[in-house]
Amino acid sequence: MDCIGLIREFLKDRLGADPEAVVPGALLADLGVDSLMMLELMFEFEDHFGIKLASDLKTPGTVGELVELMDRLIAQQKS
Amino acid sequence: MNRRRVAITGLGLVSPYGGDLADFFQRLCAGESAVRHLLTDDVPRPLSMPFVSCPDFDPDAALGKPLASMMDRFAQLGMAAAFAAWDDAGLARHEEGNKRDRWGCAWGTALGGTLAYEKGYRELWQKGRERLSPLAVVLGMNNAANAHISIQLGLGGVSMSHTVACASSSIAIGEAFRRVRSGEATIMVTGGSDVPQAYGVARAWEALRVLAPGNADSAPRACRPFSADRRGLVLGEGGAALILEDWDHAIARGANIHGEIVGYGSSCDHSHLVKPDAAGQVRALRDTLDDAGLDSSDIDYVNAHGTATAEGDPVEIAALKAVFGDAAGRLAVSATKSMHGHLLGAAGAIEAIATVLALREQRLPPTAHLTELDPACAGVDHVTVARQQPLRAALSNSFAFGGSNAVLAFRAVAS
Repeated sequence: MDCIGLIREFLKDRLGADPEAVVPGALLADLGVDSLMMLELMFEFEDHFGIKLASDLKTPGTVGELVELMDRLIAQQKS
Repeated sequence: MNRRRVAITGLGLVSPYGGDLADFFQRLCAGESAVRHLLTDDVPRPLSMPFVSCPDFDPDAALGKPLASMMDRFAQLGMAAAFAAWDDAGLARHEEGNKRDRWGCAWGTALGGTLAYEKGYRELWQKGRERLSPLAVVLGMNNAANAHISIQLGLGGVSMSHTVACASSSIAIGEAFRRVRSGEATIMVTGGSDVPQAYGVARAWEALRVLAPGNADSAPRACRPFSADRRGLVLGEGGAALILEDWDHAIARGANIHGEIVGYGSSCDHSHLVKPDAAGQVRALRDTLDDAGLDSSDIDYVNAHGTATAEGDPVEIAALKAVFGDAAGRLAVSATKSMHGHLLGAAGAIEAIATVLALREQRLPPTAHLTELDPACAGVDHVTVARQQPLRAALSNSFAFGGSNAVLAFRAVAS
């Protein structure tokens, strides 16, 4: 599953968020993702893609920023 | 000392029967047991014991998915009970401004988020995982229930949890009562919740040899307080909440008042961890009467701690006889644990609710399954069938492992 798919599934499962509302321009805060839920989401990402996120990672604000960040990290991991 | 009267304006629970408050009390009065046989799929050996569960409780439906997913089951049960009590009190869920800055929450739980930690251990030790979700910290902490309650209801005053084994929520209610009576708090949300079905917890209780045996057929009759053939207690999960409110504040907003909480006493046996001592219980009972300004002759009913253990029941009756003297024989006593089980940290709260409803309805719930009284438990008026009678004031006892005792006193309010 790609990043946005995983984010959609996670937000539907945890927060009951409508997958159609999870679009690149959407603010994560508006979707109900607070700092704690962001930690949980990052934890799921690490698990799913077998990557380790740096502890000083800048917190993304939108779904698009999060996807971009994840794609970059996964690419780095593979190279 | 300036003492304010304290009204009980809201009651709420997650009922093991699945219904509402009225249904809960009706079933208690009918002598209907909520005890069922619990069979889990735990490894290496499933739990198989009489137990009280809340099978109809749907956390997502009761709390909404985002909130429910941030909580362990003990907090979910607590939050749902608190919402029910809050709604019952006719208070708005949300309010702008700082009016609630002196409203607080005192919550009882013996086990807190044990179930969340246990889930973590399973992940690590059974499933071979090396890491745990960051949410495990906030799911597992003992103050999770009161923290969520204060956040959801906008309570800006004290938010605290009390862990005193089986007396946890009676002590929480007593401490909340003192805050309102002293004027420190206008409203306190109080009560308790617990989930003793954690594998490690239930197994340990089993090893202590105090759990009543039973299978699918016999489980409903497994808990028989004061009975000659009693075999022990039955654990149960649940959540129960009360809204304690400054009397004048309640009157001013036209609130419905279920009853009045008038006294709280606590003591420690300081003698043994699990062997109760009548002398310590007597001190808690007398302190409560003194605190309430009541005489023993004012008390028409006692909701007993009555767990149905061999050791505990006779000691409690001995304590009541010491306090009530010659009048003990006319003192109505019942142990509703025979039906709703022992909710550990929520026991005092669910029994406080039963006591307040008894006073409000002027109707005594019975001790179920009490057909042959143990002579060692004789000397009080054991209520074995529900009955209607004038009730002025009542006590609710909670006597915990560790020797911690807590007694609450309630008074009926003329409707």
